[in-house]
Amino acid sequence: MSEELTVIGKPVTRVDAYEKVTGQIVYGYDLTLPNMLYGKALFSPKAHAKIKKIDISKAKALPGVVAVVTGADAPWTHGEAVKDKPFLAHGKVRYIGEPVAAVAAEDEDTAQAAVKLIEVEYEDLPVYIDPEEACKPGCVEIHEDYDGYRKAPFMVRGAAPNINEHFKLRTGDVAKGFAESDLILDEKYYVPIIQHAAMEPHSAHAQWDKESGRLTIWVANDAPFRALHEISEALAMDKEKIRFINPAQGGGFGSKGGLKCEPIAVALAFQTGGRPVRVKFNREETFISTLTRHAATVYCKSGVKKDGTLVAREMTIYWDAGAYAEKSPTVCIRGSLPAPGPYRIPHVKVDGYAVYTNKPVAGSYRGYGIPQGAWAGEQQMDELAIKLGMDPIDIRMKNIFVEGDMSYWGEQLHAVGLKETLIKATEAIEYGKKSPINKPGLKIGKGFACIQKPTRSPTTSNAGVTVNAQGEVTVFAGTVEIGQGCNTILSQVAAEELKVPMDKVIMHQLDTDVIPYDASTTSSRSTYHMGNAVRSASIHAREQIMEAAAPMLEVGVQELALGDGKVFAKDQPQQSLPIGEVVKRKLGINGVVRGEASYTYEIGKDLDLETGHSDHASAFYMYATQAAEVSVDEESGRVRVLRMSAAHDVGKAINPLNCEAQIEGGVVMGIGSAIHEELIIDATGKVRNPSFLDYHLVTSLDCPQLIPIIVECHEPEGPYGAKGLGEPGLAPTPAAIGNAVADAIGIRIYDLPLKPENVFWALQKNKKSAA
Amino acid sequence: MNKKIDFTLNGKAVSRDVPTHRLLLDLLRDEIGATGTKEGCGTGDCGACTVMMNGKPVNSCLILSGELAGADIVTIEGLKIGAELHAVQKAFVQDGGAQCGYCTPGMLMMSKALLDSNNNPSEEEIRYALSGNLCRCTGYAKIVQAVQDAAAMLRSKNP
Ligand code: FES
Ligand code: FES
Repeated sequence: MSEELTVIGKPVTRVDAYEKVTGQIVYGYDLTLPNMLYGKALFSPKAHAKIKKIDISKAKALPGVVAVVTGADAPWTHGEAVKDKPFLAHGKVRYIGEPVAAVAAEDEDTAQAAVKLIEVEYEDLPVYIDPEEACKPGCVEIHEDYDGYRKAPFMVRGAAPNINEHFKLRTGDVAKGFAESDLILDEKYYVPIIQHAAMEPHSAHAQWDKESGRLTIWVANDAPFRALHEISEALAMDKEKIRFINPAQGGGFGSKGGLKCEPIAVALAFQTGGRPVRVKFNREETFISTLTRHAATVYCKSGVKKDGTLVAREMTIYWDAGAYAEKSPTVCIRGSLPAPGPYRIPHVKVDGYAVYTNKPVAGSYRGYGIPQGAWAGEQQMDELAIKLGMDPIDIRMKNIFVEGDMSYWGEQLHAVGLKETLIKATEAIEYGKKSPINKPGLKIGKGFACIQKPTRSPTTSNAGVTVNAQGEVTVFAGTVEIGQGCNTILSQVAAEELKVPMDKVIMHQLDTDVIPYDASTTSSRSTYHMGNAVRSASIHAREQIMEAAAPMLEVGVQELALGDGKVFAKDQPQQSLPIGEVVKRKLGINGVVRGEASYTYEIGKDLDLETGHSDHASAFYMYATQAAEVSVDEESGRVRVLRMSAAHDVGKAINPLNCEAQIEGGVVMGIGSAIHEELIIDATGKVRNPSFLDYHLVTSLDCPQLIPIIVECHEPEGPYGAKGLGEPGLAPTPAAIGNAVADAIGIRIYDLPLKPENVFWALQKNKKSAA
Repeated sequence: MNKKIDFTLNGKAVSRDVPTHRLLLDLLRDEIGATGTKEGCGTGDCGACTVMMNGKPVNSCLILSGELAGADIVTIEGLKIGAELHAVQKAFVQDGGAQCGYCTPGMLMMSKALLDSNNNPSEEEIRYALSGNLCRCTGYAKIVQAVQDAAAMLRSKNP
């Protein structure tokens, strides 16, 4: 329909705001169930050890304890790409924080006391902390049964020990490319482990009803259908016997997909005679026993011509998977593939290795591998420019992807709004203009970085949309509201297509018994995939209403239009019926019209496992440029971000207010990863800073002036032209800040975070070598 | 050791028999079932559990039930004025101050505490007042904006 859009593109306020500002909304962490038991886990104190003996007798004898379970009671494993993770440790432990046993008791204090009574004897095994060390010949396999695990078909095992995925990209001939280059740079970059630190810690509730054979799990999990599949596969239980119900979720950023508290709760639920069990992790447990973001060591070598034309880029990336594979194989693939950056490069070679270590499990994290590659590639772009005496903008302009370009992985690109983001982001901070700030001991600099991000493909979203006889619309969509605003966006889509006011639309609670399948709330995929599904389902419902209304209004379907909650004849708008009235006349007072739709974006060929090529690797690509102005205190090494612009090609802003909110949140999270955050893990595998006191999140005092900029480069397949936006705000932030710091102090720092001591020592080293 | 504790919660008298070491946060959430107050860390580092105690903002995860005798506690459930949202709640709705919403009750209570004593705070004062309340979603910009807008609403009501 070519009519004007009524709510799409408008900054409507969030549909969930009221229940959030009043404290009425119930999160997973808030939930209590009738007759509930309290579960607590015992976590491994060893990073790599055999379990010689577990004695649970004392714990079992404690009054108030209902069940104690160990790996022997829960002999199941799960995992998405690799089925490698036990519900509770089997025979050995692989990281400090791995759940070894669990207790369900009448109250939390008793459960905690009982956990302390469990006795475990361990026999130490060699501990691997550094992925490059862990894959040296002769290393002990952390997963000695790796070859026997069920693995996804797209996976390629590396030749060396402990590698769970080896991704290869081969384009042109890098040796030839370097031979033809006028300048070659070869550097090593490092990105440490960080954590999602969603404000709501993890929890799960589970109940097993023996009579019906049904297992119900209440959990704030952002991929309930994936979780259901994993549980079903692990337990060899029919899918229809398992039900996931989502209470509200207090953030996630990638940490709440997969299974963390769920297996513990399930293992206990089988032993409680039908009583539900709640397992809550406290903050420290959330730090050590949920998920982290992959540390990455990135070797990056680039060759350019004198005029700045990129000729060759070679990257080797070690992704630190931690003790279990979780999302590592796909982070390795989708993070390594575009790591050379959004540029035309004739000769490219990338090797990505996801390597098991004895550390907490790394998984998906907002940005999915893009920040690590960008930290290396985008800093090296600046270094190349500086060495060539070029402006960093010009070197990028020379090589940057534009509409119709063939990418180095063999895909022709469309809807490429990158150039516009580059121009707008750099203009917004007056890049190239000297800062007027002039304080002794304070250096000011500016920098920027560009990224391109794919989305998980191919994936499917299904949706249902009902309209009742009262004219109320209910959307059945499996996208999880994790704070990103999907409930508002999807309500806007339904309101738009059915031309009803926003307050007539409600989102049905996510319950896998009634909500149709959706792949996951990840990878910035929801606006595009679920937006398309909800749009089509709304249109399907609309068509049924129009068809029913035609005889009622005595005009042909073609002559009808919708507006303001009513069906009316186009040439006689006074001849109208409210849509609820149409439903009522057709189906009665309790009648409901239901529209259904499924959306799958079929990609072309799968990635070729030898070359990494695909003619269509992603349903769409997100493009962004962010630019930072920073100050560096020469005395202390302290970096402050003064302002940061963030220009994002969103395709179409369905809700500009929400787009801004996503960009701002992503940028600030990125600032944390650039200058504050690092999960410190010692040589024994112990996390040294598992608290908000020692792990520094950005506070309200650390924020710069934020300048979100929306660029709309229409994506023809997207709903109303939209792409996605959840993740990219974070991705170029550290590299932009790194470039700004280098601009300020004239020294390039290759390791994150840019915390005061790191910057201070870089300054000291430089002073010495100058002297 | 259990003890009978009398205090006021959102204007209503409450009397409970609880262990004196029970944290106010757990008392509210687990015993009373008022889960609007959130737990983000339990160690006084995140501000999600902020409530008003005798007119001052406190981290309820650092208050023991034994300290509660006679106290006047106001939580997020008591922030509305009758059926109407408090100005700071209205402003959070309008400006997009809540994303996942988990930090929101604490943010709102801390913002109310600030606005109670200063109805025209500067951006710096707002940022300082909220610096103990962590938010992982918003980047704080829309929260600060909301507090400024709430202050303006309050000033126009009570100049
Ligand atoms: S829960 Fe009280 S400060 Fe975090
Ligand atoms: S809105 Fe999610 S933590 Fe603040």
